[in-house]
Amino acid sequence: MVDRIRAKIGLPGPPVTATVEAGHLKRFCEAIGDPNPRWLEEAPPTFLVALAPTSYHLPEAEEYGKGWLNGGNRFEYLEPVRVGDRITSTGRVAEVYEKSGGSGTLLFIIFETEYKNQHGRTVARLRGTAIRR
Amino acid sequence: MNSERPNLDAPARKLAVGEEIPQLVKHPTTRQLVQYAGAQGDFYEIHYDQDYARSVALPGVILHGLLKAGFLGQLVTDWLGDRGTLRSFEVSYRGIDQPGRPYTCRGRITKIDGDVVELEVWGEDPEGKKTTVGSAVVQVK
Repeated sequence: MVDRIRAKIGLPGPPVTATVEAGHLKRFCEAIGDPNPRWLEEAPPTFLVALAPTSYHLPEAEEYGKGWLNGGNRFEYLEPVRVGDRITSTGRVAEVYEKSGGSGTLLFIIFETEYKNQHGRTVARLRGTAIRR
Repeated sequence: MNSERPNLDAPARKLAVGEEIPQLVKHPTTRQLVQYAGAQGDFYEIHYDQDYARSVALPGVILHGLLKAGFLGQLVTDWLGDRGTLRSFEVSYRGIDQPGRPYTCRGRITKIDGDVVELEVWGEDPEGKKTTVGSAVVQVK
């Protein structure tokens, strides 16, 4: 099963395109509890995760362990993202490995997502560590 | 939901390595987890269904890692204001956090190289355990 996931390393998942909507941005900032008026127009640091899934569905990974944990996220910002921008995100599996932990073996899947705007410019990149436990 | 925020109008000061930036204390509730689940579109049951959370060996519902990242992002952008631009931001989740317990976001300047400033950031539970650790790189004007 781990080998089946490994076989997907590097293959891009289906691209997801979404427009940054003012109402969505407002609800996201309210949920975090960040009242900074700057975020009425511009996306705060973690907003891109709300535009598209941060990982694509890997049914075979769900055969491993009982549940998912998020191990970490790394964001790289190249250009601001603003209301009205049309963002296309493309994710891929970058790494897959197993590690022994206190409560047994864990499966680590590193996803990388690239976000491009309507002008075709990369605005941000995200690297996320999904863990099956 | 409630947060104690620094004064965004405070005059810019000279930055120094080792300096701690103003803390941000969050008081997450189960309601906030539901709100965040909807806003992010992450409907994994461990964040709002107590029975499901316990069935996967958790003590109850837990905060989304990315909600904690959102808190730490706010910590950095509140401090930075319009003095510069966030270039990168990284968080590792080292422990779980449950609603009903205050979550304190902290950060400290670790490196200054010209106009590039690096910070370590972390989130603490009420016992002072760092359940989230990370870093941020900002470019100041």
